[in-house]
Amino acid sequence: MGKRFEEIEHTADVAIRVRGRDLAELFVNAAYGLACQLSDPDALDLTIEQEIELEAYDAETLLVSWLGELLYLSERDECVLADFDVLEIASTRLRAVARGGPVQGHRRHVKAVTFSEMEIVRVGGGYETTVVFDV
Amino acid sequence: MGRRRKKRQEQGGQQKTTPRTAQPHDFRRVDEYIWELPQDFRDDMRVPARLFGDEELFGAAFRDRTVAQLANAATLPGIVGYAMAMPDFHQGYGFPIGGVAATRADSGVISPGGVGYDINCGVRLLGTHLEREEIAPYLHDLNAVLYRACPSGVGGKGRERVSERELEELVVDGAKWALKRGLARQEDVAHTEEQGCLAGADPGQVSARAKERGRPQVGSLGAGNHFLEIDAVDEVYDPEVADVFGLREGQVVVQIHCGSRGFGHQVCDDYVKGLQSAVRKYNIQLPDRELVCAPINSPEGRAYYGAMACAVNYAFVNRQVLAMGVREAFEQVLAGKVKNFDLFQVYDVCHNIAKFEEHEVGDQRMRLCVHRKGATRAFGPGYPGLPADYRDVGQPVLVPGSMGTASYVLVGAQKAMELTFGSTCHGAGRTMSRSKARKQVWGADLKKELERQGIVVHAGSDKGLAEESPLAYKDVSRVVEVVHGLGIARQVVRLQPLAVIKG
Repeated sequence: MGKRFEEIEHTADVAIRVRGRDLAELFVNAAYGLACQLSDPDALDLTIEQEIELEAYDAETLLVSWLGELLYLSERDECVLADFDVLEIASTRLRAVARGGPVQGHRRHVKAVTFSEMEIVRVGGGYETTVVFDV
Repeated sequence: MGRRRKKRQEQGGQQKTTPRTAQPHDFRRVDEYIWELPQDFRDDMRVPARLFGDEELFGAAFRDRTVAQLANAATLPGIVGYAMAMPDFHQGYGFPIGGVAATRADSGVISPGGVGYDINCGVRLLGTHLEREEIAPYLHDLNAVLYRACPSGVGGKGRERVSERELEELVVDGAKWALKRGLARQEDVAHTEEQGCLAGADPGQVSARAKERGRPQVGSLGAGNHFLEIDAVDEVYDPEVADVFGLREGQVVVQIHCGSRGFGHQVCDDYVKGLQSAVRKYNIQLPDRELVCAPINSPEGRAYYGAMACAVNYAFVNRQVLAMGVREAFEQVLAGKVKNFDLFQVYDVCHNIAKFEEHEVGDQRMRLCVHRKGATRAFGPGYPGLPADYRDVGQPVLVPGSMGTASYVLVGAQKAMELTFGSTCHGAGRTMSRSKARKQVWGADLKKELERQGIVVHAGSDKGLAEESPLAYKDVSRVVEVVHGLGIARQVVRLQPLAVIKG
């Protein structure tokens, strides 16, 4: 799959560029990009499993909601979710399973997932977007 | 999804094109420190945009997306005057940080993106009756006790636990709630912007999740750029005003920098998502979706304001509870060792907020919704809303520097009412991304360097410390010189750090 996301320059916050062959892969890679902000995903003991079901106004709102949900759960349960299966996805609906493990504090504080510069666009046989995290 | 997007564009009646990004030559230099981008630079700008800074700061605006974001802010429906960036500007999300935009209260919009996620992130300054020499032997003990008394870190639990019902009272009454609970003194409340309570808070507009996140965090510092600092006044520029604020050379003071924690983040998150459909409903064209907004006089706009005011009040209480923690820590360490260990409140200011204020626009007096995102209110002498004992001199403006560098206390001035809707800068402003800062600075080295300068440091993580390195920030003195030179706030005293607690 190659690199799942790349960090791009942002003066104050953290921005990543994410690609996916389809919407499901785009969402999984973005979620992995978030997990890497919070911890080292390879060091996690995957003992937590959470099913997530969301509906949103459009695809961008769905992506922000998805990442926001993962961020909320990671703060509430002091864990990081880093392994994902998308069970069902359309541009306004998502059902997925997220797995992760407990952590002692996060690597960094991500306050929120923003809409800034977010636009899911089609690029050569897939999708791409930027995600800016407020840190 | 491609079809869906196309449909949206057709409904909007225009093709989406990437707006032009301004270059330095597109700006007109109005004054030594004022740079203006004319309204006709982009078709969608409703007012001109203004950047404040000297030549070097102006040049820095083109190294990130500040200028594009500022032009984007100028497209908000109902915006008046100028979209403005204070000299500590840098790229944010939606608005630039350092951004000030005022919209007409009767026909304009309110934008959660123009306030940000950390609603009422702000600074509180406490004064002591101690000289720096008196406190020197106890600095290490004091820092360690403060670290425990003022919980920090991601998701960190606060000093107070509140029930859902108590939380609802807290977010409506703000500092008055703390007063009732014995967590504040009357003088603290008087010396807080809005007396620690923004009117119009409506907990019915706040989601259950925001309340759930807010309940355990009252009285916690958080992480990121938030901090608690013991400083000494090392330079007095205006002795008369300093005296009114209770400040003098050599005096020890304490700064608390934090906001509304998970409660405010969730409120912003809920409304940035929730208002996406309102943008379409009211047929508003936006160049960046983070600028999401709704008419102030719409159910959606009113709901956001009601929820935002709750988060503003939560942050006032949060800093108030931490201030009591600081008082306790000082008593625990210094009782019996110094004559007077008490701390009094100089002032508390908001850095991220939208507020209804009256200002002159042209020759008309108008009720405006002033968005300040990384900017401070800077009301001059005589303005209503200032505490009685400060009314003759103006409002204290608290400008924290980057970690380990100087901070400033300024005073608001009449010129701010004429130029910036009563606003000024809020800090140093970043110049370098966090990843770059991490590559250039080792947290452990920075800690040693600060300690070599005699500054005691307590930090949650070395990485976090590296990201907040002074190298990653503009020189706060330069920023303050610009606002002083513009006359939108005047220098009163400078503070030098003695001890830092970083979340």
